[in-house]
Amino acid sequence: MNGPHDMGGMQGMGPIPIEPDEPVFHSEWEAKVFAMSFATFCNFFPVDETRHASERMPPGDYLNSAYYERWLYALELLLTEHNLVTPAEIEHRIAELAQGE
Amino acid sequence: MAIETSNECMTVAQAQSLLQNGVDCRGVSDDPPRFQAGDRVRAKVMHPITYTRLPRYVRGKTGTIAKVNGVYVFPDTVGQRLATKPQYVYSVRFAAQELWGPEASPRDCLYIDLFDDHLDAT
Amino acid sequence: MAHTHRPESEIALRVKAIESLLVEKGIVDPATLDTIIEAYEHQIGPHNGARIVAKAWVDADYKQRLLADGTSAIAELGLTGFSSEHMVVVENTPQVHNLIVCTLCSCYPWAILGLPPTWYKSFAYRSRAVIEPRKVLQEFGLAIPDEVEIRVWDSNADLRYLVLPERPQDTEDLSEAALAGLVTRNAMIGTAKVQPPAPPSTLAA
Repeated sequence: MNGPHDMGGMQGMGPIPIEPDEPVFHSEWEAKVFAMSFATFCNFFPVDETRHASERMPPGDYLNSAYYERWLYALELLLTEHNLVTPAEIEHRIAELAQGE
Repeated sequence: MAIETSNECMTVAQAQSLLQNGVDCRGVSDDPPRFQAGDRVRAKVMHPITYTRLPRYVRGKTGTIAKVNGVYVFPDTVGQRLATKPQYVYSVRFAAQELWGPEASPRDCLYIDLFDDHLDAT
Repeated sequence: MAHTHRPESEIALRVKAIESLLVEKGIVDPATLDTIIEAYEHQIGPHNGARIVAKAWVDADYKQRLLADGTSAIAELGLTGFSSEHMVVVENTPQVHNLIVCTLCSCYPWAILGLPPTWYKSFAYRSRAVIEPRKVLQEFGLAIPDEVEIRVWDSNADLRYLVLPERPQDTEDLSEAALAGLVTRNAMIGTAKVQPPAPPSTLAA
């Protein structure tokens, strides 16, 4: 699809953000999103299906998100599309956890 | 033909094996490659609304086969869980000026891996 | 581009909720998640690629095999792995400078270099590396003379790319391990050159 992910040759993206001594993950949630995605590769979703899922993020959101936010979007999209988890379950669990904190 | 997954929870041992061995994306084809190194090819002009690994910036552009990389499963269909559709992958060389016009350096070039279904003979 | 546009706490909570659901439903195993994170945080990284480069610098036969069939030559060192299953190694020379990118996502040889840095995954790099590689390289402090050919490799399919950088001068006396210590991640993506070792300090401690 002609989505925002197909960005070879696009202009106006600014300077290259070079970060010295960068950690592998910048936070625990990044590590968890990565690990949950990896743990569902092949067994639940072919890797190309997960790539395609991140490309299906609405263009405005895609361009406004960080790398692992797009992974999170893809993971959530595939989990819900394949009826492994429902959106209501996710929202319910978020509310529960927020209350517990 | 749809691609099914096991839907099994990945064990530690499976994760270690995946980390160490990866996933073999090669496939088998009974046909010889359509193109050989040195052949001129044109990347197809196509705009599927589904998954494709053919980026817009090479569509319709003419390049040269640099190398036949072998047969691989086709991500454009695997990404939709449709079929593995194994086919040849070629390293295709495009002159920077073919892609970006006369402002680009006359020396520079771009290599990209394209599948049979992405290419036409010129 | 590492910054998010939602509060981090909101995302972290969402991730925690999904994780707890997936564990509860038996879709992911917490021990598997730990194994994956541990592997990429502490085991896999650019030191793997540096070993390959240093070996190619000291062993001409190995270099020939590496450039002819990267996958097999890298497997000789046991450095196979996820997202590095099909490897192509491209050599920098005084006439040719290679640069690796993935414009469509951020494909990268994970088993050889670890997970990619933020700049490699950034929209700026993905969009600009193909159309203005010389300007991008300048931002990394690398001025490539006009007479040198730049080859940009867009790794859009299942093959993954590694740059074999030029061996710096005055390193004849260095061991393979010492040479590996000079090789940086960016040099193996093509956004840096390998620098010779700093001359020993003449000042006594």
